Amino acid sequence: MFANGYKKKVGSAVLVHIILLVGAAIMIIPFIWMFLTSVKTMGESTMVPLVIIPKQLQWNNYLKVFESLPFLTFYWNTMITTLFKTVGQVMICSLAAYAFARIEFPGRNLFFLLALSVLMVPGQVFLIPQYMIMKDLGWLNSLQALIVPGLFSAFGTFLLRQFFMTLPKELEEAAKLDGCNQFRTYWQIMLPLAKPGMIALAIFVILWSWNDLMWPLIVNTSPDKMVLSAGLASLQGEHSTNYTILMAGSMMAIIPMIIIFLVFQRSFIEGIALTGSK
Amino acid sequence: MARNLFVMMLLVMMMVVTACGGSNSSNNTSEQPSNNKETETTDEKVTLTYATWGGADDKATPKVIELFNSTHPNIEVKLESTPNKQYWSKLETAAIGETLADVFWMNGPNIVKYGSNNILLPISEQIKADGLDMTKYPQSLVDLYTVNGENYGIPKDFDTPGLWYNKEMFDAAGVKYPDDTWDWNSLLEASKKLTDPAKGVWGIAATLDSQSGYYDTILQAGGYIISDDKKSSGFDKPEAINGIKFWTDLINVHKVSPTMAQMTETQGTDLFKSGKVAMLAEGSWNASDFASNENIKGKFDVAVLPKGKQRGVIIHGLGNVISAQTKHPKEAWEFVKFLGSKEVAVIYASTGTVIPAYEGTQETWVQSNPDVNLQIFIDQLKDSKPYPVSQNTSAWASLESEIFTKAWAGVITPEEAGKEMAAKMNEALEKEK
Repeated sequence: MFANGYKKKVGSAVLVHIILLVGAAIMIIPFIWMFLTSVKTMGESTMVPLVIIPKQLQWNNYLKVFESLPFLTFYWNTMITTLFKTVGQVMICSLAAYAFARIEFPGRNLFFLLALSVLMVPGQVFLIPQYMIMKDLGWLNSLQALIVPGLFSAFGTFLLRQFFMTLPKELEEAAKLDGCNQFRTYWQIMLPLAKPGMIALAIFVILWSWNDLMWPLIVNTSPDKMVLSAGLASLQGEHSTNYTILMAGSMMAIIPMIIIFLVFQRSFIEGIALTGSK
Repeated sequence: MARNLFVMMLLVMMMVVTACGGSNSSNNTSEQPSNNKETETTDEKVTLTYATWGGADDKATPKVIELFNSTHPNIEVKLESTPNKQYWSKLETAAIGETLADVFWMNGPNIVKYGSNNILLPISEQIKADGLDMTKYPQSLVDLYTVNGENYGIPKDFDTPGLWYNKEMFDAAGVKYPDDTWDWNSLLEASKKLTDPAKGVWGIAATLDSQSGYYDTILQAGGYIISDDKKSSGFDKPEAINGIKFWTDLINVHKVSPTMAQMTETQGTDLFKSGKVAMLAEGSWNASDFASNENIKGKFDVAVLPKGKQRGVIIHGLGNVISAQTKHPKEAWEFVKFLGSKEVAVIYASTGTVIPAYEGTQETWVQSNPDVNLQIFIDQLKDSKPYPVSQNTSAWASLESEIFTKAWAGVITPEEAGKEMAAKMNEALEKEK
């Protein structure tokens, strides 16, 4: 009996692992392909039939990226933008979310609906009005034009509000009895409990900010105010693209994302499970 | 403590944000609305912005700007390069926001839209005043950048398509190389001999391409794409249908080209570079790309497009235009005039990517790759017709690929495709009035 049940368990574990391995392989193939293309010659990269392993690894494709673009400037701009947007959104959205979830004030629902309505409109609609605001502020061609419009998001507010709603009210009442004021309740009691929600939001913001292409291209023009995504896009020519250099640049561009993923792996999965179920 | 930390973080954030702002607004005067009228009259240094979609590949434009800046001490030109795919969205936003670059690249499909909406500065008077000789540029291109009788742009470069072929594959099949005696029939006969289904090689890639494909064959069949008054489509005329049929027959009747599905998976240029197709009708801009690819290098050459009922190729080229919103029209004109000069044309020619528009400088481009008969692209000028455009070109041109894909895949006949396209195009043209 016992042996039989054990066998069954092992059998299903093997099956689960096989399925997971296949899934993992499917996920990792694009990255491997990207790497292989980044070390091919130009001819090998578009060869039919496919050349999988290049004859000789062309490491100098990586050097060529630095020759064709001010890559480090783009890197720096992207990191600064992402950092400020992430910190800003987590802070500002959590403050707004806490207010919407817990504080009774006149017109709360109306304001919340207004914030939500932003989510209903596609981003392209804001493009020109936001551009005009940046222009009137004299911020075109600047880093703050990349950062400031991304310091707050309706999505983040919504996500965190839903999260705060699920936390037991008793905790706050206890805090109040112990003499916490509203801000301290938020800062010392609620915020630590909302950590999974905030990490989830941070992950989304980091990804969006890192990948954002259209907005930086619209507001900024000079190369020293450009971000990585725009730099990579400029490696694509009108008629032909040198995929080896494009992929070498992309490899370097995704490294921070991969590091973040490895470090926050557990929270990543929690975060996604959270946004799915709540 | 935690509260202090929070306040501190907020403060630091604000400081950094404002610091970025401070440093920026001080060194970026060109974007700020300037109340200082004096800049236009005195010898103070003027900054011009020049927007292109050259990207990382365009090595010539920075050189040209450097040359201009060093010879014009009172003007400083700054390059603003936007990736090709996003260029037009950005231009549109900038036009609405009145923050257009002073001078920028324009192409055929967009010139009428921008030229007829007071976004570009008309330059006919400046051309006359400075006695600029417009006959130095191909007539088709000067016409392309003339809207309602006003010049808006100085042609920068041009491209025409040619018939690229793989010499090795022709030798192996014992077929004579294409030359200027070829007509549609010779191309078909050669393709038949070059196709070998067992080896997976084809005579030609009949790609779904307008400028290097059916636009040209429609002209060669004696048809037109848009009427001269830009009011009606020519796609449903029997000649145009013949021009479309030429390509679809190569795929679906004679089977000498990869199928539409295969060419969607692998681009025609990649098939050609990999030695899977012996011929490819493609633009002159491929010269440097092919020459730098180790698979095809030294094995390819190019010939004029074969003639149908007559000869015909579409010519297209970029133009340099000036924004109507520029604060420095005089300096911008000075720069555009310089861009149209022979000196600049030679710089572009020597990099080998584009054929400069200025008469007599094309020789430098032809010599940039002496192993290949690039001269044919220049010789074809005499048979060239301007790129078909209307006020809102993209309204109908964007429908072409959707409708013609069905014909290339053999789902509908060329007649059906031509008629459907013409009906929708006429509808779109109707809205322009």
